[in-house]
Amino acid sequence: MRKSLFLFLPLLALAPVFAYVDDALSFAYEAATPFVKQGFNVREDAWGGDLGVKDKQAIQAQLFKGNNYMFCLGTDVKKAVLSIAIYDSDGQLVSEETSRPGFLVTSKVAPKKTGTYYAIVTVHKSPVERTGWALVYAYK
Amino acid sequence: MPTLPKTVTALFCAAALTGVCVAQKPADSIDLSEFPAQSIDDVVVPVPSEVFGVLDKLGNPNWRGEQRENLGKQTGNRAQVALLLGTVIAEGFVAVEAEDPERVKEIGRRVLSLSKAINVEKAVLERAKSITDKAEVKDWQAVRKEFDGALQDVKGAMEELGDNELAQLVSMGGWIRGTEVLTSIVRKTYTPDSAELLHQPALLDYFSKQLGTLSSKRLSNDRFVVRVRKMLEEIRPLIGAKDGSTISLDNVQKINEMTRDTVVSITGKGA
Repeated sequence: MRKSLFLFLPLLALAPVFAYVDDALSFAYEAATPFVKQGFNVREDAWGGDLGVKDKQAIQAQLFKGNNYMFCLGTDVKKAVLSIAIYDSDGQLVSEETSRPGFLVTSKVAPKKTGTYYAIVTVHKSPVERTGWALVYAYK
Repeated sequence: MPTLPKTVTALFCAAALTGVCVAQKPADSIDLSEFPAQSIDDVVVPVPSEVFGVLDKLGNPNWRGEQRENLGKQTGNRAQVALLLGTVIAEGFVAVEAEDPERVKEIGRRVLSLSKAINVEKAVLERAKSITDKAEVKDWQAVRKEFDGALQDVKGAMEELGDNELAQLVSMGGWIRGTEVLTSIVRKTYTPDSAELLHQPALLDYFSKQLGTLSSKRLSNDRFVVRVRKMLEEIRPLIGAKDGSTISLDNVQKINEMTRDTVVSITGKGA
């Protein structure tokens, strides 16, 4: 998924349909902006893709105990309703929602263990068939 | 047209809204096997400062003492240059922790010269300038972001040139040097909590998979790639089988030796 962001770049001029991934990334960074003032470092690397309504996407993340993380999800489809939740490797919810589901959503995690975690992106509602999304995370 | 009493309408609306909210509320637990493997096998590689920040909270590491004197020399081998570039960017994160502006500026220049060697100089030109400017005013949070950005820009530019597989080596070089520094600090003031930072199974599996499925036979057989692949295989059993399991001091020392030797081979005279 993440690689697709880079792979899409040279294709943007040829295939405008992919532009939504790039647009979604701008919104994900917008969602992350308030946390910079709180001392969070926003990662430049990101995940992205598109999903149909009611579809879910799981993403792996390596998180470290001792850090606080903010996961920031965005889409350029402003009437879409998305959510993000983080689970540990046993499938237990570890994140706390810090915003309501919508087109810009954030969720925070303070991992109790270092290891692999899973971010689940869900598109609950959308006026379009496929909703482009991008996810970035910040840490401190 | 008949209308419902306001209270009934309000109740219906409230119920509908509650239904929406409940539907959107995340489940307390999920079955991860429901997700197809191909959808979750990609990992964002953490930058060294994600780990270094935790070490800072656990103690007071001597970051200046962890800096390498020699940033290494490049050869005509592109795999070596990609790995070296990764180690140099990781060195940038160490210099940020050490709050050493001159070193950060030197590393910024080195990132630029190595990027030139693999034809992606343009992609990091602005970043390199920004690293220097922000180090000058000691805006360390911004310098961290620029090093992270430089890493992504280099990888993105390499992928645009069709060097996707080589781009992965930049991340791996950064991880190897970051892990060398991590283990060096942890072994000096060992605690199970600090050693737990080495528990990175998904990342190791991801790197191993990348190196195990290289389409370029030449790259796959490259001596640096062979060395890194072997190192990853040897580290994997040492980092704990389950989340939260204790990683011994002995294992920390072993990982430190393996990563240190690999960094020396990438940066040293034998390169």
